[in-house]
Amino acid sequence: QDKGRDDLPPPAPAAGASAAPQPGGIQGQNIFDVKPEVKPDASSDPKYLEQSNGERNRVQPGNNAPMWRGVAAGREGFTNYPKSEAPEAGVLIQPPVQYPGSRLTTAGEAWRQVRNVWLIPYGGALLLIVLGALAIFYFAKGPIGKHGAGEGQLKIERFTPFERSAHWANAIAFTILMVSGLVMAFGKFFLLPVMGGLLFGWLTYFLKTLHNFTGPLFTVSLIIVFVVFLRDNWPQRGDLNWLLKGGGLVGKSTNHEPPSHRFNAGEKIVFWGGVLVLGFFVVSSGLAMDKLIPGINYDRQTMQIIHMFHYVSTALMMCMFFGHIYIGTIGMRGAYTAMRRGYVGEEWAKEHHAYWYEDIRSGKIPAQRSHPHAAADAPILGEQRA
Amino acid sequence: MLLTKKSGAAEAGMRPPASGRSPFLHSLQRGLSNALPTMDRRAFLRRSGLGVGVGLAASQLVLVKKAGAAEGRSVGVGAGKIEVKRTVCTHCSVGCAIDAVVENGVWVRQEPVFDSPINLGAHCAKGAAVREHGHGEFRLRYPMKLVNGKYERISWDTALNEISAKMLELRKASGPDSVYWIGSSKHSNEQSYLMRKFVSFWGSNNCDHQARICHSTTVAGVANTWGYGAMTNSYNDMQNSKCALYIGSNAAEAHPVSMLHMLHSKENGCKMIVVDPRFTRTAAKADEYVRIRSGSDIPFLFGLLHHIFKNGWEDKKYINDRVYGMEDVRKEVLEKWTPDKVEEACGVPEAQMFKVAQMMAMNRPSTLVWCMGQTQHSIGNAMVRASCIVQLALGNVGVSGGGANIFRGHDNVQGATDIGPNPDSLPGYYGIVEGSWRHFAKAWGVDYDWIKARFANVGMMSKPGITVSRWIDGVMEKNELIDQDPNLRAVVYWGHAPNSQTRGLEMKRAMDMLDLLVVVDPYPSATAAMAAMPGRPEDLNKNRAVYLLPAATQFETSGSVTASNRSLQWREKVIEPLWESRTDHMIMYQLAEKLGFGKELVKNYKMQKVKGMDEPLPEDILREVNKSCWSIGYTGQSPERLKSHMRNMANFDVKTLKSKGGKDPVTGYDLTGDYFGLPWPCYGTPELKHPGSPNLYDTSKHVMEGGGNFRANFGVERNGVNLLAEDGSASKGADIQTGYPEFDHVLLKKLGWWDELTDVEKALAEGKNWKTDNSGGIIRVTMKNHGCHVFGNAKARAVVWNFPDGIPQHREALYSTRPDLVAKYPTHDDKKAFWRLPTLYKTIQDKNLADKVATKFPLILTSGRLTEYEGGGDETRSNPWLAELQQEAFVEINPKAAGERGIRNGERVWVSTPTGARINVQAMLTERVGPDTCWIPFHFAGRWQGADLLAYYPNGAAPVVRGEAVNTATTYGYDSVTMMQETKTTICNVERAVA
Amino acid sequence: MARMKFICDSERCIECNGCVTACKNEHEIPWGVNRRRVVTLNDGVPGERSISVACMHCSDAPCMAVCPVNCFYRTDEGVVLHDKDICIGCGYCSYACPFGAPQFPASGTFGVRGKMDKCTFCAGGPEANGSEAEFEKYGRNRLAEGKLPACAEMCSTKALLAGDGDVVADIFRNRVVKRGKGAEVWGWGTAYGSKQAGQPGGAKS
Ligand SMILES: Nc1nc2c(c(=O)[nH]1)N[C@H]1C(S)=C(S)[C@@H](COP(=O)(O)OP(=O)(O)OC[C@H]3O[C@@H](n4cnc5c(=O)[nH]c(N)nc54)[C@H](O)[C@@H]3O)O[C@H]1N2
Ligand SMILES: Nc1nc2c(c(=O)[nH]1)N[C@H]1C(S)=C(S)[C@@H](COP(=O)(O)OP(=O)(O)OC[C@H]3O[C@@H](n4cnc5c(=O)[nH]c(N)nc54)[C@H](O)[C@@H]3O)O[C@H]1N2
Ligand code: HEM
Ligand code: HEM
Ligand code: SF4
Ligand code: SF4
Ligand code: SF4
Ligand code: SF4
Ligand code: SF4
Ligand SMILES: [Mo]
Repeated sequence: QDKGRDDLPPPAPAAGASAAPQPGGIQGQNIFDVKPEVKPDASSDPKYLEQSNGERNRVQPGNNAPMWRGVAAGREGFTNYPKSEAPEAGVLIQPPVQYPGSRLTTAGEAWRQVRNVWLIPYGGALLLIVLGALAIFYFAKGPIGKHGAGEGQLKIERFTPFERSAHWANAIAFTILMVSGLVMAFGKFFLLPVMGGLLFGWLTYFLKTLHNFTGPLFTVSLIIVFVVFLRDNWPQRGDLNWLLKGGGLVGKSTNHEPPSHRFNAGEKIVFWGGVLVLGFFVVSSGLAMDKLIPGINYDRQTMQIIHMFHYVSTALMMCMFFGHIYIGTIGMRGAYTAMRRGYVGEEWAKEHHAYWYEDIRSGKIPAQRSHPHAAADAPILGEQRA
Repeated sequence: MLLTKKSGAAEAGMRPPASGRSPFLHSLQRGLSNALPTMDRRAFLRRSGLGVGVGLAASQLVLVKKAGAAEGRSVGVGAGKIEVKRTVCTHCSVGCAIDAVVENGVWVRQEPVFDSPINLGAHCAKGAAVREHGHGEFRLRYPMKLVNGKYERISWDTALNEISAKMLELRKASGPDSVYWIGSSKHSNEQSYLMRKFVSFWGSNNCDHQARICHSTTVAGVANTWGYGAMTNSYNDMQNSKCALYIGSNAAEAHPVSMLHMLHSKENGCKMIVVDPRFTRTAAKADEYVRIRSGSDIPFLFGLLHHIFKNGWEDKKYINDRVYGMEDVRKEVLEKWTPDKVEEACGVPEAQMFKVAQMMAMNRPSTLVWCMGQTQHSIGNAMVRASCIVQLALGNVGVSGGGANIFRGHDNVQGATDIGPNPDSLPGYYGIVEGSWRHFAKAWGVDYDWIKARFANVGMMSKPGITVSRWIDGVMEKNELIDQDPNLRAVVYWGHAPNSQTRGLEMKRAMDMLDLLVVVDPYPSATAAMAAMPGRPEDLNKNRAVYLLPAATQFETSGSVTASNRSLQWREKVIEPLWESRTDHMIMYQLAEKLGFGKELVKNYKMQKVKGMDEPLPEDILREVNKSCWSIGYTGQSPERLKSHMRNMANFDVKTLKSKGGKDPVTGYDLTGDYFGLPWPCYGTPELKHPGSPNLYDTSKHVMEGGGNFRANFGVERNGVNLLAEDGSASKGADIQTGYPEFDHVLLKKLGWWDELTDVEKALAEGKNWKTDNSGGIIRVTMKNHGCHVFGNAKARAVVWNFPDGIPQHREALYSTRPDLVAKYPTHDDKKAFWRLPTLYKTIQDKNLADKVATKFPLILTSGRLTEYEGGGDETRSNPWLAELQQEAFVEINPKAAGERGIRNGERVWVSTPTGARINVQAMLTERVGPDTCWIPFHFAGRWQGADLLAYYPNGAAPVVRGEAVNTATTYGYDSVTMMQETKTTICNVERAVA
Repeated sequence: MARMKFICDSERCIECNGCVTACKNEHEIPWGVNRRRVVTLNDGVPGERSISVACMHCSDAPCMAVCPVNCFYRTDEGVVLHDKDICIGCGYCSYACPFGAPQFPASGTFGVRGKMDKCTFCAGGPEANGSEAEFEKYGRNRLAEGKLPACAEMCSTKALLAGDGDVVADIFRNRVVKRGKGAEVWGWGTAYGSKQAGQPGGAKS
C-alpha cells in the first residue's frame, strides 16, 4: 500500500511464528516443512548453473532442473536394451540443432523444417525451372546441329561397345534412381491425389526398394564411366574458346560450334562437375543411406545430415543431367545415335568436334578403335537418321 | 491432403464390418478414399456419430488372436466362446489379480483388475507378461529321460513306473530318508499342503522349499519374538505410515506394485528411508538413502536404537506393557553400539544415524520393511530380530501404519511356509512331535501307527530333515558325520531351481553322485542342463537316472495362494494343462498310487477328471486344511468365502482392505466386516465368520474384528520376570484385561466358560487345546463370547533366549573383506548334527583369515533381483517379452574399482571366488555400488564358467536368454538357526576377460 | 472432444517395465520392436529418475509431415496413426520424430526396414475396428472398446497416465500440489507445443 516503503525489508515475522516446530511427542511432521536455516539461497552459488542433478538435489531437494535441461539437450539415459539392438533407445528427445534454414530445435524437427520448407519446394522448383528452360530452348531453337550421325563418307567409331554399355548401364540406373527418387520426394503432391493412398503406397514401395538396390549398381557403373571417359576429358586446346563462345550458342556466330576435341568443354564440365563431383556426393550419401558404408554410426542425426546431402546433390545432379539428357536426345541431332550405335559420320564429327575430326583424318586417332568383330553389329552408315 | 479419421465406432456408415469383406478391397477403398477430394475433414466428423468410450458394444467381444497356443487349436475370430477367468500373478508375493480372457480354450488376452484392492490393475513387467504362459513355447512338453547324455521323450506311464520302481528300490536298500523332496513356493496352498502330506506318507521329514533360502530366518526370528513369523501389516496399510524404513529390500524391483501404495503414501507426507549397500531403484525414490556395508545391519539397527534410547524416544509405556527384555537390549546398545563403533562397522556417520533415528521417532507410526538384505546371512536370524526390536522400542508393532512389513518372496511362499513342505514342521507350524502327528493323522483319516511305520524309526519322525540349502552335503558328507542312516541318494526337484542354492560347483558334483534325480517343473531347464552337462567322471554314478516331468503352471489349475500380507486369493483355472503337462497334485496322486499310498493320500477328497484322468479336487484339499490348521487361522478361509471375495473385489477398501458391506450376488454370502482375502489368522470355522487379521497384534480392535495382541508361546514367566502382558494392554473388549496364557480345556473350565461349548464341541475339545480342538469350540467361546485371544496375551521378546544369540549380536560373515572386524566380531563355533549335518562357522572363518582370502578377493560380492526376472529365472527367461529386456548377465562394479582393474563399461570380466569358480559376465560400471562392493543378479543360468550349456538342454526347452549363475560361485555359510544360506555377503575378485 | 495424451510422472516411475510388456502382450509385438521403452536418467546416482516413453501423438507431428507417402492420419482424439499398407519403410518418420517412437522390424543394409510400427495409443489402425486385419497390423483397438491404453492401465505405480489431456493433467496437477515437487510434465513442450492442450490447427505436410 505504501509505495515509499518498497525498498525496506519485509517486516520481521512475529516472534515464535518462525520457530521450528519443536521435535517432541510423536506427531507426524510434514516433509515439506523446510526448517528456516540461515543459509544463502542456493542459486547464489557461482557454480549453480553447472550443478549436476545430484548436486542440485543436495542444495535444493526436488529441483531437477539440471536433469530436465540434460534431457532437452539430448542427454542419453540408461535403458535395458543392448546398444547393438537399439542404439538410441536411451535418448528421450533428440538434441537441439540448427540446420541451415531451420530454427534451433530438436534435430528431427530441424530436419523436417529443412526438408519440408527448403528442400522439397525449392528443389522441386529448381527441377521445374530447368525443365522449363530446356523446353523453352527447344521450342525457340529446336535441335542444334545440321547433320545427323550418319552423314558423310567415313564411318567413325565414336564410342566402343564397352564405352556404350558402360554408359547405358549408368544411364538406365540413373533414370531408375531419378524416377524413383522423384516419386519419393514429390509423388505425394502429384501422384497420390490421382492414384489414391494404397496404389501410390505400393508403387512407391516398389520404387523405393528399386532405388535402394539400383543405387549400388549405379555406383559401380559410374566409376566405370568415369575411368573410361577420363582420358578424353582432360582440358585441351580450344576448351576455353568453346566456353567463351558458349558452345556457339551465344555471340554472333550462332549455329556454328567452336572446334573441340572428342569432348567439348560443356561435356567436360558435365564430366568433372556432374560425374565426378556431384556423382561423388550422390553416391557416397546414397550408399550411406543404404547403410552400406562400414564404420558409420547410423544414428538419426547422421541420417538427417546424409539425407540433406543426398537430396541437394541429387537435385543438382538431376538438373545437370536433365541438360545432358536433353542434348543427348532431342537437343542435338545425331548425338543419341552416336551413343546408341557408336558410329558417327564425317559431317557430324566435323560440325561438332572439329579438332577430333582432324585427328582422325590425320590418323592420330584410329577411326575404328574396337576390334571389328566386336562391332559386328555396327550399322551401315547412312541407314541412320538421327 | 490429410484426413482426420475417427478411431471409434465411427465409420459404421463407411467402413464395412469386420467380416464378409476382403481386406484387400477394404484397403483399396481406403486408399482411394484418401485420393478423393470430396471426403473432407468435416464430412468425416459428421459421420462419426458415436463418441469413443461408448465402446463397440458388439465388437467388444470380437477378440482376435494371432496364433494358437498349442498345436491343434483353431484360430478363430470372434466365433468362439469367450470367458474371463480371474487369477493371480504367479511371480511375486504382492498378489496382483489378473483377468484372463480365454477364447475357445486359448488364453488370448489379459486385462487389468482395477477392482483388486491389492494392485488396482497395476502390474510390473512380469505380471503384465504372464499371458505368455499360455503360449508355453519353451516349456517341457512331455516326460523325458536322460539317455547317454541326451534327453529322450518317454511316456508318462514309463516315467512314473520307472521312477517309482527306483524309489522303492532305494527305500528298500537305504530307507525313506535317502530321498530328498524339494517342494515349491510356486505351488498353490493345496498343492504344497498335499506335498507335505505326501512326504509324510512316504515316511520322511526330508523335504523343504524356497522359504529356507528366502525368509526362513525371518519366520524363525519373528515368530520367536512375538508369535507369528509373517508380515504384520500389509502393503495397503503402508498408506497409513508416516515414515518407512526399507532395510535390505529393493521393493521397486522385487515388489514393484507395493510401490503403488508407498508412493501414494509418500505424496501424503510419509518419509521414506532406504538402507542398502546399493543405491537401488527404491533408494532413488527415498527421502534419505543410507549406504551400509553388506552384512552390517545389526550395527546399523543398534546404532539407530542407540540414538533412540539416548534421546528417550522409545515408547516407554508400550515397552513396559508389551515387551520383555528391552532393558537388557538397552543396556547393551548404549554401551556397545556407540556412534564410533557403528561407523566403524557399517560405515554410517553419526549425523546420518541421528537423522534416521529422528525421522523414525518423530513420524510415528513408522514402519520397517525388510527382505533378503537381512535374511540371507549366517546371522540372518539375529538381523531380523534387531529390526523387530527397533519396532518394539518405537511401539510400532500392532499399529496401523507401523509394523514389520516383511515383504515375502514367491507368489505363494507365504502359503507354502504356512502349510507346506517344511522339514521341521507339519502344516500350520505344528511341530513334528507326536502330538502333532496324531493331530494330523486324525485330520488325514489315517492311523498314527500307520504313519509311524512308514518312517525309518520313531526318532526320525521328530527329527527335522535336511534343508534345501544343504541337500548337496546330504549327498556328499561322510556318512558317519550325518545324523541319519543313509546319505541322500535321490533328489526330487518339484518346482524349484538349482541355481538358487549356493556352492554351484559342489552341487554339480552332488548331482552326478545321485542314483535318481527327478525334476517336476514346467521349465526344468536349468536342472536338466546342469545334470546333463559332463562333470568330473569320477563323480558320476553309473546307475544315475534323470527324469523330467512336465508340470502344469498355476494358470492350468485352480487353488488358493497366500500373498505377503497373508490374504488368500483363489485362482480360477485359465486353460487346460498345455502339451502333456499335468498338475502337481495330479502327479502327486499318481506317484503315490505307484508308491503304494495313493488311497491314503486322497482319502478325504473327491476326484475330478482332468484330461480324462483323476485329480484331487483343490477345494476339498483346502477344506482339509480348514479342518486342521487352527494354529495360524487357516481355518476360516473356506473355498466359498475366498471365491466370493474374488468375485467382489470392488467391495474392499484400498487402504484398510475392509469390506464396505454387501452381499455376493452369486451365493448371497454377506461380506460385511471381512478383510480382503481373509488374511490369516482367520480363526475358527468358516461359520464363525472371523474377518481375518489385517494387522497382527493390534489391540485397538476386538479379536472378532481382526484385533489381537502378542502371543503367549514362551511360558508365563522367566527367571521370575512376567512374560504375560501387563494389565490394561489387552485387545479391545476382551473380558480378561490382564495378560493371560493360551487357551485349552483346563483354562476354559477354570474360567467357567466350558459350558458355553455345545455337547458335540465338548466331546471333541476334551483334553485338547485351541490348536488341537477339531470342533473349533474353544476358539468360538474364547473369541466370540469373551473377546479374548485364544493364543493368550503375552509380551513380545526382545531377548530370544532359546537362540544362539539371545540379544542379536553382530558377527562378521564367514567370508569377509575385513579381517580387522572379524577379529572383533567373530562368528559362531562349529555345530555338529545341525539339521542332520555338521555345520562349520569358526573353522571356515579362521581358515579364511589364515589364507588371507581378503587380499586375494578384496571385493564384497552380493546378489539380488531384477524386475524382469524371477528366482532362478527359467520361467521368466523363457518369456521373450521379458527376456528382451535383460539379455546379459552382468556385474555391477564401481567405476573406481573397475578403473583399478582396467575394466571398461560393457566389457567381459571374470568374477572369481574362493570356491575356485570363475564366472564370465559383462561389467556394468555404476556408482550404484560403492567401491568395495560388487553386485550380480542371480536369475541367470545356462552358462557355466564361460561355456554355453545349450547343447545339454532338453530339445526345445532352452530359455531365450542364458547367462552365468552367480550361485555357481557363491560360498559356504549358513544361518545358525535355520540353515539359511549366506548369499548376500561373500567375497570375490573381478578381472578383465581377455578374449 | 477428448485430446489423448500421455503423462509419465517421473517421481513415480520405478522403471519396472510393466508398461513395456503390457504393450508387447496386448499387441503381440515381436522382439526388437518397442513401441514403448523406459529410460532412466542419472542411473545409479542420487536424482535418479525414470521415464516411460512412446509416441506422444504430437499436435504438429513431424513424422506425419515428412512421410513421403502421407500414410499418417490423425483421429479426432488427436491420436496419430498410420497406414501400413501405404508405408514404404523409408524411415523418415523415425529421423523426424523427437522421441524415437517409430520402430522397424528390421534394420538391414540396402535400406531394408519393413513397415514402420509405433504406438497407436491402443487405437488400432485404419482397418475396421476390431477386425483381424487391424489386429495383425496394428494390434488391438482398445479405444474402440472403451478402454484406455494397456500400458497406462497396467502401470505398476500409476506413473503413466493416458487419456484426455485435460483429465490426465488434472490428476497430475493434484499430485504435484500434494507432494510439492516433481511438476515437470515431461515431453509436452516438444510434443504439443507451447499451447499444449488444444488441437492443432491442421497438419502441414
Ligand atoms: N523381479 C523379481 N521380484 C521378485 C523376485 C524375483 O526373483 N524377481 N523374487 C521374489 C522373492 S523370492 C523374494 S525373497 C523377494 C526379495 O526381494 P528383495 O530382498 O527386496 O530383493 P534382493 O534384490 O534380493 O535384495 C534386496 C537388497 O538387499 C541388498 N543387500 C545386500 N546385502 C545386504 C545387507 O547386508 N544388508 C542390507 N540391508 N541390504 C543388503 C541388495 O543390495 C538388494 O538391493 O523378491 C520377490 N520378488
Ligand atoms: N545368490 C542368490 N541366491 C538366491 C537369492 C539371492 O538373492 N541371491 N535369493 C534366494 C531366494 S529369496 C529364493 S526364494 C530363491 C528362488 O529360487 P527358486 O525358487 O529356485 O527359483 P525359481 O526359478 O523361481 O524356481 C521356481 C521353479 O518352479 C517352477 N514352477 C513354477 N510354477 C510351478 C508349478 O505350478 N508347479 C511346479 N512343479 N513348478 C512350478 C518354475 O518353472 C521354476 O523352475 O533363490 C534364492 N537364491
Ligand atoms: C548410389 C546411388 C544412390 C543411392 C545409393 C541412393 C539411395 C537413396 C536412399 C537410400 C534414399 C532414401 C530413401 C529411402 O530409404 O527409401 C534416397 C532418396 C532419394 N534419392 Fe537416392 N540414391 C542414389 C542415387 C540417387 C540418384 C542418382 C538420384 C537422383 C538422380 C537420387 C535421388 C534420390 C531422391 C530424390 C531421394 C528422395 C529424397 C526425399 O524424399 O527427400 N538418388 N536415395
Ligand atoms: C537417359 C540418360 C542419358 C542419355 C540419353 C545420355 C546420352 C548421352 C549421349 C548421347 C552421349 C554422347 C554425347 C557425345 O557423343 O558427345 C553421352 C555421353 C556421355 N554421357 Fe550420357 N546420357 C545419359 C545419362 C548419363 C548419365 C546418368 C551419365 C553419368 C552420370 C552420363 C555420362 C556421360 C558421359 C561421361 C558421356 C561422355 C561424354 C562426357 O564425358 O562428357 N550420361 N550421353
Ligand atoms: S510380479 Fe509381483 S508385483 Fe509384479 S505383477 Fe506379479 S504379483 Fe504384481
Ligand atoms: S511422437 Fe514421433 S511418431 Fe509420435 S506423433 Fe510425435 S513425431 Fe510422430
Ligand atoms: S517409414 Fe513409412 S510411415 Fe515412416 S515416413 Fe516412411 S512411409 Fe511414412
Ligand atoms: S498406448 Fe498402446 S500401443 Fe501405445 S505404448 Fe501403450 S500399450 Fe503400446
Ligand atoms: S509401468 Fe509405470 S512405473 Fe513401471 S516403468 Fe512403466 S511407467 Fe514406469
Ligand atoms: Mo525368496
